[in-house]
Amino acid sequence: MPDTGGGRSYAWWHETVIAVLLVIVLQFAGWLVPGFLKLQSQLLLSRQLWEFAILALGMTLIIITGGIDLSVGSTMGLSAVVFGGVHSSSGSLMAASLACLATGLCCGAVNGALVSRLRLHPLIVTLATFAAYRGIAEGWSQGHSYSRFGDAFSDLARGSWLGVPLPGAIFVLMATGFAVFLSKTPYGRFLYAIGHNERAAKFSGISVNRIRFWLYTTSGLLAGLASLIYVARFDTAQADVGKGFELDVITAVVLGGTSIYGGRGTIPGTMLGLLLIHETRLLVSRYWGSDELRSIVIGCLLIVAVLACQLVSRKRRS
Amino acid sequence: MNRFVCFCLASLAIALAVPGCTNNSPSRTAETSGENSKAPAGSRKIRVALLPKIKGISYFSSCYKGAEEAANELGIELIYDGPTDGDPRKQAEMIEQWTIDGVDVICVAPNAPDVVAGAMKEARAAGIAVITWDADGTNESRSFFVNQASAQSIGEGLVNAMLKDLGPATEGDVVIISADATSANQNAWIETMKPALARSKLKLATIKYPGENASNALADGRDVISKYPDLKGIFGISTVSFPGAAEAVEQSGKSGQVLVTGLSTPNDMKKFVHTGTVRSVVLWNTVDLGYLTIHVAKALATREIKDGTTTIKAGRLGEKSIVGDNVMLGDIMVFTKDNIDQFDF
Repeated sequence: MPDTGGGRSYAWWHETVIAVLLVIVLQFAGWLVPGFLKLQSQLLLSRQLWEFAILALGMTLIIITGGIDLSVGSTMGLSAVVFGGVHSSSGSLMAASLACLATGLCCGAVNGALVSRLRLHPLIVTLATFAAYRGIAEGWSQGHSYSRFGDAFSDLARGSWLGVPLPGAIFVLMATGFAVFLSKTPYGRFLYAIGHNERAAKFSGISVNRIRFWLYTTSGLLAGLASLIYVARFDTAQADVGKGFELDVITAVVLGGTSIYGGRGTIPGTMLGLLLIHETRLLVSRYWGSDELRSIVIGCLLIVAVLACQLVSRKRRS
Repeated sequence: MNRFVCFCLASLAIALAVPGCTNNSPSRTAETSGENSKAPAGSRKIRVALLPKIKGISYFSSCYKGAEEAANELGIELIYDGPTDGDPRKQAEMIEQWTIDGVDVICVAPNAPDVVAGAMKEARAAGIAVITWDADGTNESRSFFVNQASAQSIGEGLVNAMLKDLGPATEGDVVIISADATSANQNAWIETMKPALARSKLKLATIKYPGENASNALADGRDVISKYPDLKGIFGISTVSFPGAAEAVEQSGKSGQVLVTGLSTPNDMKKFVHTGTVRSVVLWNTVDLGYLTIHVAKALATREIKDGTTTIKAGRLGEKSIVGDNVMLGDIMVFTKDNIDQFDF
C-alpha cells in the first residue's frame, strides 16, 4: 500500500534506510578496496552512472503517477542510430545531436499519445514500443555501427569542468529542477494526486491526460539526451545502445523509495537509489573483478533494501 | 526534509572521512591488499592486466595459459578479466577501472577498436603502458601490437587450405562467415582472401556477420547452405563461427559435400575433423601468443623496449622480431586429422 504521508508530513524513513545502506556499502568498500573512496576515482568512475541517472529522473515522475516507461532503453537505441545516420550523411555534429534529441522526444510523444488519448495501460504501450523502437533501430542500421565522431564530441561524456564531469553537471542541474518541480509547484503535487487516486484527481479538475502526455514525452527526451552522452562516451552509435537499461533504471527508482503503485517518491530518494546501485556495482567489479557477479549482487541488494524498509515501516506503524 | 538532508550530509561525510583516515594505517593495507600494496618501487611486483575479447571461451583460455606461464617465470602479478558476452563497452569500463587501480601495463584484445580507444588513450595519458594483442586497436591508442601472424599469411593460408582440400580445379561458390562487421582482424583477413580467391576458380558468394554468437553462426550456416545450391565450401573465420558453420553442415546432412575451413582452437574442432566435415583447421599457437604478450608487457614496464626497437627476447620463444610497432609471433599452423590430437587447447 502506498504511504499516505504526502506534502509537509512526508515520511523519510525509506530514504533514510537507503542512506544508511549506502553508508554501510561505502564503509565496507573503503575497507575492502584501498583507494575506493578517493574523490578522484569516484568522479572518474561516475561516468558509468550518468546515463542511468538522467533516465531515472523521468522514470521517477512517471512511476509516481502510477505509470511506467519500459521503452527508454529502446528509445536510446533508436536515437543513437538516428544520430549516427544523420552524422554520416551530413557530417554535422550539431545536426546529429538535435536529431538525436528530437527522436527521443518523438518516441516519448508517441508513448504519451497512446497512453493519454487511447487510454491504453502504460505497461502495454511501452512494452509494445520497447520492441518496436529497437526493431526500427536494428532495421534501419542493419547492424552497422557508426563511429569516429571526434575528440571534441567525446568530451561531452569524458570531459570535466572544474573537476566535475560534464554529464554530472548536466544531471545535477536537471535533478535540482525536477526536485523543485516535484515538491514546490502545483503541477508537481498533481503527480502525487494522480498516483494516489486518478479518478479523484480528475474530478478535482486536474488535466490528467495532458500531464500524462507531457510526462512520457519528457521521458523520451531524457532518453535522447542519455543516448547522446552514451554515444559520446564510447564514440560508437549502434542499435544495441541502451539495451536492458529500462530494468536497471526502474530498479534504482524503486530502490529509492518510489512506490511502484504510485503516489509516493522523491528525487533525492531516486538519487540515493542510483548511488547505492552504482557503488555496489563498483565494489563488486573492483573487488571480485567479476562481470557476472554484478547482477546477482544487485538483485540481492534490492531484496535486502525492500525488506529493511518494510521492517522499519512496520515498526513505525505499530 | 531538513532533518533528512542533514542526515544525508552527515552520513556521506562520515563515509568519506573514516576510511580515508584508516587508508593510511599500514596494518590494514597489508591485510586487505596483500601483494597489491605499494611496497618500495624497486621490489614492487609489476602488475599486468590482460583483457581478452571474451572471457571463458577456449581460444582465450589457452592464451591465458601461456600468459600465466610467462607471469610465473617473470614474477609478474597477472590480472585476467574480460566480458563474458564480448561487449566492447564493458571492455572500455574495465580499462577505466584498471587505470584508476594504477596497474603498470594493460594488454587489450579489442572487440571494436573505436569503442575502447577513448579508455586506452586515457590510460596512456595516466602513464600506463598500453599494448594490443590478438587484435589491433587504433594507432594512437597503444604503443605495440603483439601480432599473431600477418593478415597476408592467414588469409592466404585459409584459401590454400580450402583449395588443397577441395582440389585446385574445383569450381563453385564459397561463403565467408565472419564475426562482427567491425572486427578488425576478420576484415583484414577477408581483404587478403579476396584476391587469393579471385586467382582460383571459386567464387565468393557472400559474407555473413553473425557476431561472436554461436546460435547466430549456426543460423547463418544453415541459411547459406539452403540459399546456394552450388556451395562447395564455407570459411568460418572466427572461433565461434567456425564450429557453428561445421555444425550447420552436419545438421543439413551435407558433410563431405560442403567443406568447412577456418580459424579455431583444435579442441573445439576435433570432432568435426574426425567426422570429415572439416579437413584443415588454421590457427597460430595461442599459448605462445599469451606467453609473448606478457613478455612484451614486462619489457615495456622495465623500459627494455621502446619505439624503434627491432627485437625482443621472449623466454622460451627466443628472439622475436619487431616490425614497426608490431611484435611478430610467427607463422600460422595448420591442424589436420593427422596431428590435431597432439594439441590440447
